[in-house]
Amino acid sequence: MYRTIPYIGLFAAVVLLQVFLFDNLSISVYLNPLVYVVFIALLPLDAQPVTVLGSGLLLGITMDCAMGAAGINTIATLPIAFFRPSLAGMICGRENVREGGIPAPDRLGTRKFFLFLLTLTIIHHAIFFLLEALSWRLMPHTILRIVISSAISVAFGWIIARIFTAKISARV
Amino acid sequence: MRKLIEFVRSIYVVVLFVVLEAAAIGYYAHSSSYTQARLLARSNQVAGGVHGFFAGIRRYLFLGRENRQFAEHVARLEEKLAQYQEAETEARLDAYLRDIGESKYRFATAAVVGNTLNRMQNLLTLNRGREDGIEEEMGVLAPDGSLVGYVVACTDRYAVAMSVLNTSFRTSGKIAQSEYSGSIYWDGADPGVVMLGELSKYADPQPGQEVVTAGLSEYFPADILIGWVESAQLNETKTSYTVRVRLAAEMSRLNEVILVADRDRYEIQDLQQSEQVELHSRVN
Repeated sequence: MYRTIPYIGLFAAVVLLQVFLFDNLSISVYLNPLVYVVFIALLPLDAQPVTVLGSGLLLGITMDCAMGAAGINTIATLPIAFFRPSLAGMICGRENVREGGIPAPDRLGTRKFFLFLLTLTIIHHAIFFLLEALSWRLMPHTILRIVISSAISVAFGWIIARIFTAKISARV
Repeated sequence: MRKLIEFVRSIYVVVLFVVLEAAAIGYYAHSSSYTQARLLARSNQVAGGVHGFFAGIRRYLFLGRENRQFAEHVARLEEKLAQYQEAETEARLDAYLRDIGESKYRFATAAVVGNTLNRMQNLLTLNRGREDGIEEEMGVLAPDGSLVGYVVACTDRYAVAMSVLNTSFRTSGKIAQSEYSGSIYWDGADPGVVMLGELSKYADPQPGQEVVTAGLSEYFPADILIGWVESAQLNETKTSYTVRVRLAAEMSRLNEVILVADRDRYEIQDLQQSEQVELHSRVN
């Protein structure tokens, strides 16, 4: 796979940022950004589905071990890795997916990239927080957690994407 | 045969996804707060040093406040000691101490190197482990002596405690100066408030009243401050109160903690699990 080294660097960066920065924010129960989702979003558009799924599995297990969560990160990350190729086709356009390369804002356009990142983040956060709460009684509270945490995750994910794609060309 | 191979090739990612997701859900479904604490304790053997570095900086910034809290706590204890000394002659007190021998409780201190507030299962990571005499089931108190949680997993150098802000946390609590006790738990909504459930309708809780540990749990001594009554509501059948309790411990500013262990805990547990007690449980 091309650009393996930058992606290993991105993987390490998002894991370290999540564990040592975002997990320690502890500002509010509604604010729990899980920015590592951006790694799945930034994988090459033409990456093999099995590669994306494997990356999702590795990311999920790493986050579970680091956060002391017994599988919840893996459960939330695997579906976004599995559905990513289809979502990329729907949101970014089949032409862009066929062409491959990194799904950067400069390349896809701000609106498409934002929608792509937002969709992946909301799916991931919805699974994560619903499973963590497992309670109908707490549903309004859980929805608020999903919305606020997703907004913050997308904002930081956007910054990470800009930094990652600033030095390397988004095209193959 | 070729068609079969092609079919398998076309769906193997779906099958792989289903198998992996099912395995992850299975593992999560069979996990508990203890599993999570054990995972975190193991990962801290790698990441604990970095967490400790950041916690050191944070602790340094809050050193003044911590010292003030400890000084206030010591002052309160000094005042209590002075009261005892006034009440008893020194000789009699010495005789009491000789009879008691070791204190029932053993205390230790630790620094908090990891503390989450934004999850449903919040855990605290402490920089002391088995090598420092920390054990599972030790109670964790804030520097001002209020309830924080209890230790659920230990490695040689680190311990992980279940915070009171963990939906799996349970202990017994009561309104101070009353005999009615209930169950303390966190409902996952407000990190400044815990619930005192199943409190008798005769308890009549009033806003501002102190809520303390009932001493029925094996983790905490009796009369440890939990917080103050904020509001109370009778349940639908009007048989018991659910009380909102404003936490005394400042969970977001926790840098140092006091750990407390009941020396008789293992003896009591051994006794409860003894064959004779089991035999009587079966007979009855």
